[in-house]
Formats: sequence, structure tokens, C-alpha cells
Amino acid sequence: MQTSGNMKWLWLAVGAVVMLALPQLVTSSFAIDIFIRILLFSFIGVAWNLMGGYAKQLSLGHAAYFGLGAYTSTIMQVNYGISPWIGMIAGGVVAMLASLPIGWLCFRLRGPYFTIATIATAQVLMLIFLKFRDFAWGAEGTTIPNLGSAPLMMQFEEKSSYYYVVLGLLVVGLWITHRIEKSWMGYYLVAIGEDEDAAEAVGVNAPKIKRDIYMISAFLTALAGTFYTQYIYFIDPATAFSFNVSIEAALVSIVGGIGTLWGPVIGTVLLETTSALLQSWLGSSVGGIQLTVYSLILMAVILWRPTGLIGFATDVYHRTLRRKPARA
Amino acid sequence: MAEALVIKGLSKRFGGLRAVQDVSFTVQENETVALIGPNGAGKTTSFHLITGFHRPDSGSVLAFGHEVVGLKPHDVCALGMARTFQVAKPFGAMTVLANVMTGAFLRDRHIAAAQKKAREAIEFVGLGAKEQTPAKDLTTIDQRRLEMARALATQPRILLLDEVMAGLNPAEIDQAVALVKKLSASGLTIVIVEHVMRAIMAVARHIVVLDHGQKIAEGAPKEIVENPEVIRAYLGSYVHPPAPGDAHA
Repeated sequence: MQTSGNMKWLWLAVGAVVMLALPQLVTSSFAIDIFIRILLFSFIGVAWNLMGGYAKQLSLGHAAYFGLGAYTSTIMQVNYGISPWIGMIAGGVVAMLASLPIGWLCFRLRGPYFTIATIATAQVLMLIFLKFRDFAWGAEGTTIPNLGSAPLMMQFEEKSSYYYVVLGLLVVGLWITHRIEKSWMGYYLVAIGEDEDAAEAVGVNAPKIKRDIYMISAFLTALAGTFYTQYIYFIDPATAFSFNVSIEAALVSIVGGIGTLWGPVIGTVLLETTSALLQSWLGSSVGGIQLTVYSLILMAVILWRPTGLIGFATDVYHRTLRRKPARA
Repeated sequence: MAEALVIKGLSKRFGGLRAVQDVSFTVQENETVALIGPNGAGKTTSFHLITGFHRPDSGSVLAFGHEVVGLKPHDVCALGMARTFQVAKPFGAMTVLANVMTGAFLRDRHIAAAQKKAREAIEFVGLGAKEQTPAKDLTTIDQRRLEMARALATQPRILLLDEVMAGLNPAEIDQAVALVKKLSASGLTIVIVEHVMRAIMAVARHIVVLDHGQKIAEGAPKEIVENPEVIRAYLGSYVHPPAPGDAHA
């Protein structure tokens, strides 16, 4: 959105103050838990959106990197006593390296075939971690030893501390997205998403660009995996490589608006809030209500607003206030 | 005059179909050469082979002395050979400016520099007023202009235009002809695939005729239109010119 420079900074400042003050104003641990989930899935969505949104490479296998990040840091912590802060970066690097052969395989395919191949990669990794028990606790998983208040080991007594950690991750993700969006790389990604042949014809090395953005996306997703494991103090293959993570990453971006900076955040706020509130209000009386509403929102967006809520908001804004065509 | 593009013995089969068979021709620097032939003659396939979108089974393509066969399309583009597509492929969601900047980034990855180059190319093809229009909202001729601007922004020495006049009305064809002439006057070497004979006659100094994947004739436009092989390829085998007294129909 093309708000003037000063207005943009004002909004950012207001947003920053609100976000920083939020856990101080709202003390309910239930609410903070929801905020943390919103921030976490926003961040995963932002990581997914770099490749899935801008370059339109619809991956449904990002759980692979979420899980690799989670397992790398947990193995380092539980077996070698290394801080998850270091493990988090190590997990990111492992995910980046893993994205090379996975990308090499999957990017041979285009469209739905690519998507299916990515699903398979996450499932294969889950099976590997299930089968090799000596290596990573097999299907039982493991709990993270609780050290009480140990900020250096990414363990906090206050829930609000986790909130600030994941808020930091989201800010990093948004900043990276912003930088990429405004650079040649952003143009190249959108060009690949629009028409890969035409992009190649004007000198875009599409395989290399896709590989690079996949690495960045995998790295960021892995950071989320480490954070999540630290937050719930538990890891097993079913949660670390959960298909839900892959789906959620894509859905929040699609609902919010793929290929936009704030799309994944908006999408997560809508989906997570609705589903959390419905579950707490009606979950006991009307079982599964949150899933039903979730699905309805999804269908509504895909049917009527395939550009996502951001596209919808931009349209309305331009129609009512500016009477100018929406920026493409 | 130097040789810009030397094509030798280019061949490509798709299963049992010999799409291009042993085609050779040479394009001199700053010359405009037209590649013509009936539908299915192998013109577009030749373009794909020359620009790296398909790999030929045999043959060689030298662009300013560099072997191009085996290179990827983006490498071919980096060597200074840009193309447009028969069916225009704009980046629909992007504005005209962003489309053309994408081409300009090949030579300079700074936003401001790419923007400047892109604006020059957009002005050149006459899209200046539509810089901020989303590409998907352009008319056919403007999409073709956009393709040319995007190709130009990569700063090519050789430009391959694949049926840029198809689907245009006569007035638009005149505009397109003027644009191709202007491109040639700017020093570009141009290879153009075209069906519109009026346009070919106006822009090409040399014509290569393909039929069933083979080169059947080559020469100056005047020779080509009188060449019996060419007439047979376009009109069928047993055509003889109508005699003056033949008008009982």
C-alpha cells in the first residue's frame, strides 16, 4: 500500500508499541498463548510466502524444515547440552542444506506435481525419524528437560518472554521479505511465478532463483520449529513433521493474500483467532465447530477473493477513498 | 558486415515428426531477416532451438561467434539474444514498468538504474503513458509492445520476434512495422517470424522460407515472391496462373 513515508513510519511505530505492550496489558495466559500461536504461524506463513507466494511454488511440505529445525536443536540440546539459541541457527543451516537435494528433486516438476512431491518429502522425513529410534527417540519422542528460568537455554518462566522471542522472529521474517520484495530478487520471484518461460527469456536464471529462495524459506521455517519445541517442551515425529504445519503455512498466506508482505499475518490473525475463540466458547457443546468455520472461511476466500484479504482491502480502499486502480 | 547469427545444420525431431531438418542460414549484423513458411513449417521451433528453449538433435548456432547450443534460455539472453513469444507472455500481475524492469535487471541489479533503462525501452516502443498499467489489462498490440520493451531492456544485439503482428488490425500493423524499422535503425539485428506478407516486404532485406521443417528458399523479398517452390508451398502443387480468358465462374 502506498501510504506516504511519514504515515508509514507512524503506523509502524504505533504497531510496535502495541505489540510490545500487549503481553503487559493482557495477563491471561490463555490469551498470551493465542498471541504466541498467531505470531508463530504468521512467521511460518511469512517464510512459506517467500517461495509459495511471490514465486508461486506451492509447497505443502514445509513441515520438513519445521521438523528438521526442531530436531536439530533438540538433539544438540538434549544430547550435547548446547543452547537452543545456537541449535536454532544450526537447525536453519541443516534445513537450508536439506532444501538443496529436496529442491533438486521437486523443482523438476511444475504445478500440482511439484506440490505433491513436497508433501512426500515431509512424510519421508517423518518416517525416517519414526524408524531410527537410536538416533532421535523414535515415535515416543522426548521431553525437553525443564531448567526453570534459563534464558540462555531459551527457557522462560513467563509466557510473555516466549511472546517476545517469536515476535522477534516475525519481525526478522517481515524485514527479510520487505528487503527481497523491494529488490531485483522480488521482481524475479514474481516473474517466475507469473511465467517461468518468459522469465527465462529475459535472462532470469529460474532454477537458481528458486533454489535460493527455497533455502531462505527453509531456513526461516526451521527457526519456527526450534521455537515451537522449546515452547511446548516436547518433540516427536508426528508434531515436528505434522502435515498441519505445511497446510497452515500455505493457508494463512492464501487467506491473507499470497505474494504480499502482510498477507500471512492478516490470514493468521483471522484464522487462528476465529478457531481459538470458537473452540473455547463452543468447543465443548458443538464439537469440531472451529474446523467447520475454518473451512467455511477458506472456501469463501477462495471463491470470492482469490487474491486474499489484502487484495480485498486494497480494492475497497481504492474504490472508496482513492478511486484509483489497485497497485499490481 | 560481420555475421551476427550463423545457423548450421539445425535439426530437431519430436517423436516421428521432423520439426526442423538441416536448416542453415546466416544473419548479418544489423540486418533484418524474415523467417516465413506455412503453419507447422518449423519457424517457432527454430526460434526455440536458437534461444535455448529446446535443444537441437544436431546443428550449431553461433551468435557473434559464441556457440549457443546447449545453453539455457537465460544464458542465451545474457549473450545478447532476446526473443518475444508468439503468444505474448506478459507478467500479468506486474505493471508495465515492473515487467520491463525485470528485463533490465539482467544488466544492472540496482532499482534506480533498472528503472531508468526500463523507461527508455518503454518510451521506445510507445507505451510511456501506460507505465503503471497492470500488464494483464493491456490490449493485444500493447502486450506485443511490452514484450518488445522487456526484451529490449535486456540490451540485446540480436532480437528474435515471433509473429508480433498476428491478430493486429491493418492500422496496428503499420504501427508495428514502423516499430520494427525503428528497432533496426537503432542498430539491432532482427530475425522476425511473420505471416503478414505486407509487413515482411516492408521490413525484411532477406527472407528464409521453411516448409515441413526444411529450408526451401532464401533470398531477397522480390525473388522469394516469384519463387515457384515458395508459391507451391503456400498455395499447393497444381496452381497455374489464371489465363485472361479464364473468367467464366
